[in-house]
Amino acid sequence: MHSILAVDDSASMRQMVSFTLKSAGYKVTEAVDGKDAFDKASMGAFDLVLTDQNMPNLDGIGLTKKLREHPQFKATPILILTTESSDQMKQAGRAAGATGWMVKPFDPAKLLEVIKKVIR
Amino acid sequence: MGEMSTEGANASAGIDLSQFYQVFFEEAGENLDRMEQQLLAIDVAAADDEELNAIFRCAHSIKGGAATFGFADVAELTHQMETLLDKLRRHELEPTPAMVDVLLASGDALRSQLGRHQGAGGEVIDTTDLLVNIRAFVAGGSAVAAAAPSPAPAASTAAAPAMAVEADVPVALNGDRILELVLGPLDRPELAVSIVELFKEIEGLGSIEAIDGGMPQDGLRRFKLTTSSSDADLLDLFGFHVAREQVALRPFAGERVAPGYGFHAGAPGSPITEEDKGYGFFDEAPGAPGSPPDASAVATANAAAAALTAKPAAAKADAKAPAATLEAASIRVSVEKVDQLINLMGELVITQAMLAQNSASLDPVLYQSLVSGLTALDRNTRDLQEAVMSIRMIPMQTVFSRFPRMLRDLASKLGKKVELVTVGEATELDKSLVEKITDPLTHLVRNSCDHGIELPAERLAKGKSEVGTITLAASHQGGSIVIEVKDDGKGLSREKLIKKARERGLSAPDTMSDAEVWGLIFEPGFSTAEVVTDVSGRGVGMDVVKKNITALGGTVEIDSAEGYGMRVAVRLPLTLAIMDGMSVGVGEEVYILPLSSVVESFQIGEDSVKTIGGNGRVVEVRDEYMPVLELERLFSVPRFDLGRSSGIMVVIEAEGGRVALMVDELLGQQQVVVKNLEANYRKVQDISGATIMGDGRVALILDVGSLVRRSRH
Repeated sequence: MHSILAVDDSASMRQMVSFTLKSAGYKVTEAVDGKDAFDKASMGAFDLVLTDQNMPNLDGIGLTKKLREHPQFKATPILILTTESSDQMKQAGRAAGATGWMVKPFDPAKLLEVIKKVIR
Repeated sequence: MGEMSTEGANASAGIDLSQFYQVFFEEAGENLDRMEQQLLAIDVAAADDEELNAIFRCAHSIKGGAATFGFADVAELTHQMETLLDKLRRHELEPTPAMVDVLLASGDALRSQLGRHQGAGGEVIDTTDLLVNIRAFVAGGSAVAAAAPSPAPAASTAAAPAMAVEADVPVALNGDRILELVLGPLDRPELAVSIVELFKEIEGLGSIEAIDGGMPQDGLRRFKLTTSSSDADLLDLFGFHVAREQVALRPFAGERVAPGYGFHAGAPGSPITEEDKGYGFFDEAPGAPGSPPDASAVATANAAAAALTAKPAAAKADAKAPAATLEAASIRVSVEKVDQLINLMGELVITQAMLAQNSASLDPVLYQSLVSGLTALDRNTRDLQEAVMSIRMIPMQTVFSRFPRMLRDLASKLGKKVELVTVGEATELDKSLVEKITDPLTHLVRNSCDHGIELPAERLAKGKSEVGTITLAASHQGGSIVIEVKDDGKGLSREKLIKKARERGLSAPDTMSDAEVWGLIFEPGFSTAEVVTDVSGRGVGMDVVKKNITALGGTVEIDSAEGYGMRVAVRLPLTLAIMDGMSVGVGEEVYILPLSSVVESFQIGEDSVKTIGGNGRVVEVRDEYMPVLELERLFSVPRFDLGRSSGIMVVIEAEGGRVALMVDELLGQQQVVVKNLEANYRKVQDISGATIMGDGRVALILDVGSLVRRSRH
């Protein structure tokens, strides 16, 4: 079973993402912000990190940078979920080492569709 | 990475989003509260980045959820707020009080909108004015904020047409959509020119202009389109000249908008058409689809995973992590379930007391294991009770948080400057009490602002700071919580109060203690309007405040110094369900006194009680005379032994007064489960409730406030 780390400071979004992923048969670990995510990431192996961008403590891009510094996460797909889709935003994501981005709001089916492209 | 494909992934489509609505509503409510608090706290002249960021995040978070769960009106308003807040946090605009006002008003509108979505009903909320105002603020800063045409993403290789398009687009003044058209990679650059010409040839289609200065970047040409046509029509049109996969449309990036979907550009050479997007992958980014599997990276990752797992300490060091985890680990249960638990707990406490009483006479040597078992039961019951009660406890913060906003509005209406200081927000109180104390506290705070704090000029003239301070403080004292409302305003005037009382025909001798004088304002209908302040037309109703607090088993005390301010202290039991009581015997009867009101007890000699004025009796305690109430007479307790009472006095204190109760014996202190007498029987004067004793008998709980009042008359 593939394991996904789902990071969002919003409980409703986190539940939605988590429920969607679980019903599709993924194993999900939730984290409430970038710091929490980083702590949890270092305690387990994940096949994918799905992170919100705008969060307290450590944002999605900051989390991506920190994870990429770690050999364990050098090749792990990291998708940043963001309501902001400007080029600056994408560039920052790219520079941080994110695998891709997904614009919020999205529907659950779309999320799974995108995930299928990165987890194989 | 995984070795198997995700077969289950398609089973997703039918997820019912409504199951997350409740969580969203609660979360949005919390975010609104937080946003309001932070808006109120912000110093417009010197707003710090972290504050602005935090406010932005609240709006952002609500918007994200609202858009996801389909509450378009909420999403629209929060989107505008977010746009404004974003400019503020980027210092493209300077915050002004007017902005804070419109953001606060928007918060109120959002609450109403959310309320409607939750089925609370109400009229459709018209947010037009708010939206117009916010947009005006945003536009006001547009000279600074005019978004530069976004640079093309700097691809790591020239042959990397990275992404991407979303729809949901900025809108021009005439309603046309403003799009960014990305063409390429084109094998013949002149095709772009053909497309521009084609677009211009069709009348009414809109305008097109190159935004890349005519030079391709990353092999891509970029144009700005202003058009009323749909994406599909445009794509069909461009299809005359270039392949469908070489065309991408996205919202014009000069403006930030809520995006809906987008395109994913494929790898060069094997373009993949994505019909429905809103995401993208960075080429050559780790894990991106289409990037060659990086075997060495995977190997490294696995090795590193092992290494990391061996060092779990890295994760434990952070102190903030537990708080975060805590949030994820909490559950919501209905209040009824908690109440039922508390009820059962009460029964258990009674049963335990009963066992303790019945076993008291057992020989501890003979029944050693039974007695030690009962001791353990006693301890466990107490712990359990504490744990159960703590479920219902919520911090005073929930009450205090409503005041900054209220005071701000009130102060500006009155032309006063008031600062609110809160102390002890973390102090916990039973949920049912929190709900009931909110109104009286609101009343007190409003009073302080309205009638305590002076106008700025008046304050300056008195040598005070222009800004008045109202302090709300909560703290635990013994088994009670004490909530203070303090202000540094004009305070109460002893002379005026006494004068007013006499005019109203109340007995107000000059010898009254200050506490008694202050207590006058609690007299029903005792309008202090002309007395204490020159502000007219108030109709305060302090008597109502007092009545409500007394009904909760609480007391109110006033302290004041004329010219310096006033302090109202509300003392409440932590919970209404259980209290510490002192049981006293009168004849065959047992009565319970709230332990918190018991001051002292002593035995008196036969001559210590003196009769004055025919009926009244007083006892001399340390050179002071105190009214005496004989419970035996008061409750007409039948007495069979005819012996004289043993003359034990218990001094109780309530409502700023003291009275000595004459009882036969002191039986002990214990926790009692309070049963409502009115609900089970009827209201009885001087009695606040009843409880079941360890031996199964019912004992009445005395209403000390009522006893003290009785002794005054």
